[in-house]
Amino acid sequence: MKTILSAANAVIAIASGLLVLLGYFLPNIFGGLRDQMLLWAIFLAAFALLVGVFNLAGTHLKKVTTRQRGAGYSIVLLISMLLTLALVGIDLAGGENGPAGFWSLWLFKNIQMPIEISLIAVLAIVLVIMAARLLGRRPNTFSIIFLLTVVIVLLGSVPLYHFGSSAPLTTLRGLAVNLLAVGGMRGLLLGVALGTIATGLRVLMGADRPYGG
Amino acid sequence: MNLVLEILGDLLGLIFALFCLGMMIIFLASGRKRPIQSIREIPAFNRFRHEVGLAVESGKRLHISLGRGRLDDQPGGAALAGITMMERCARAASISDRPPVVSSGDGVVSILSQDTLRATYHNIGADRRYDPTSGRLAGATPLSYTAGAMSIIHDEAISTNVMAGHFGGEVGLLTEAGDRSGSLTVAGSDSLPAQAVLYAGTEEPLIGEELYAGGAYLGAGPLHFASLRMQDVLRWLLAAVIVGGALLRLLGVLPK
Repeated sequence: MKTILSAANAVIAIASGLLVLLGYFLPNIFGGLRDQMLLWAIFLAAFALLVGVFNLAGTHLKKVTTRQRGAGYSIVLLISMLLTLALVGIDLAGGENGPAGFWSLWLFKNIQMPIEISLIAVLAIVLVIMAARLLGRRPNTFSIIFLLTVVIVLLGSVPLYHFGSSAPLTTLRGLAVNLLAVGGMRGLLLGVALGTIATGLRVLMGADRPYGG
Repeated sequence: MNLVLEILGDLLGLIFALFCLGMMIIFLASGRKRPIQSIREIPAFNRFRHEVGLAVESGKRLHISLGRGRLDDQPGGAALAGITMMERCARAASISDRPPVVSSGDGVVSILSQDTLRATYHNIGADRRYDPTSGRLAGATPLSYTAGAMSIIHDEAISTNVMAGHFGGEVGLLTEAGDRSGSLTVAGSDSLPAQAVLYAGTEEPLIGEELYAGGAYLGAGPLHFASLRMQDVLRWLLAAVIVGGALLRLLGVLPK
């Protein structure tokens, strides 16, 4: 029974993938079917998000009940989750559009946004520390080139205190950003694109079965 | 005329996809005749295998982060590559006391990770090891995902972090969390800003297409080797076309 189910999963996944792919290449023939399938996929993705949120709540509830490390944070998460649901519920009951209602926007502007901005500020510091540690972590020529490029691009991007903008630095920055970086980026992106094609084809051939088949 | 060009453009895409598929099938068939296939060494994968072994011995946990890419978007390819690596991790660490924990930032990827974990444990006859909470949605926005994954790294006795999927520059916070908790980080992403951060912030970064080669290096099957060879051939072809085009333009054969 399990084998039949797994084979059926593979057949459905491969057929759906092929139809969507053909919809992109032959839009006049398969375009309508592709759009319909993508619409179904959007609905399923929304339900998957809901399932994911329940799973997250379950994980943290388990952490609290089994008194694992960091259970205090899990309590905060669960309370925040319930409060958010209650506030969005109040908005909906008041006839407002849930996520765009007064309390939902209040939560977003006064809690979520400041916390995320603080994390971005921490990230800026972390990136500077990371760059400083790079030579200790991997002392080689590429690391030196990497750090030199970072310094040149930073100094060439902003006017220097007391000296204003420096023409040689601005020229070097332009060379690094517009010529060297673009070439490197294209090379990396081509590799990523080829890797994505190979991954997609493996799924279409049924070799990779991320749906547990 | 425009309609004809449009149809031709669409068909070129299909022809390219069929060409790739054909090459993979040819390399798969030729690969079966050669049981041992040599591929260039990527230090990150050697280190990864070693660390998985150590994690199993020391009773610690692996954390596999599949990033925040949505499956119905371009970054979905990176998430699928990450799921393949996750499956290999789960298989390798199946005898450990603590099964790997997987985090993602998309509902669909989270469900797929749970399903893959369940299928992997079933295939090796260890159904009882499957725990639905080991495949988690850590957060739905980039920074909430990062915050959720950071708490996993700090709190769950993680010895090795494998980050394979779509991230932005915020991946720096995850690598820093790994450093602080003394765990090794092997990481790759399809996004260029994340690759730059990972180069500076991890001991073993996967650059460019190395992320997609994970299956071949971790023994996921002959088709992974075939697709790797397909990518190599196409890369050389594309490089030749780009250099040839640049030369033809320089010589004035192609219009500017």
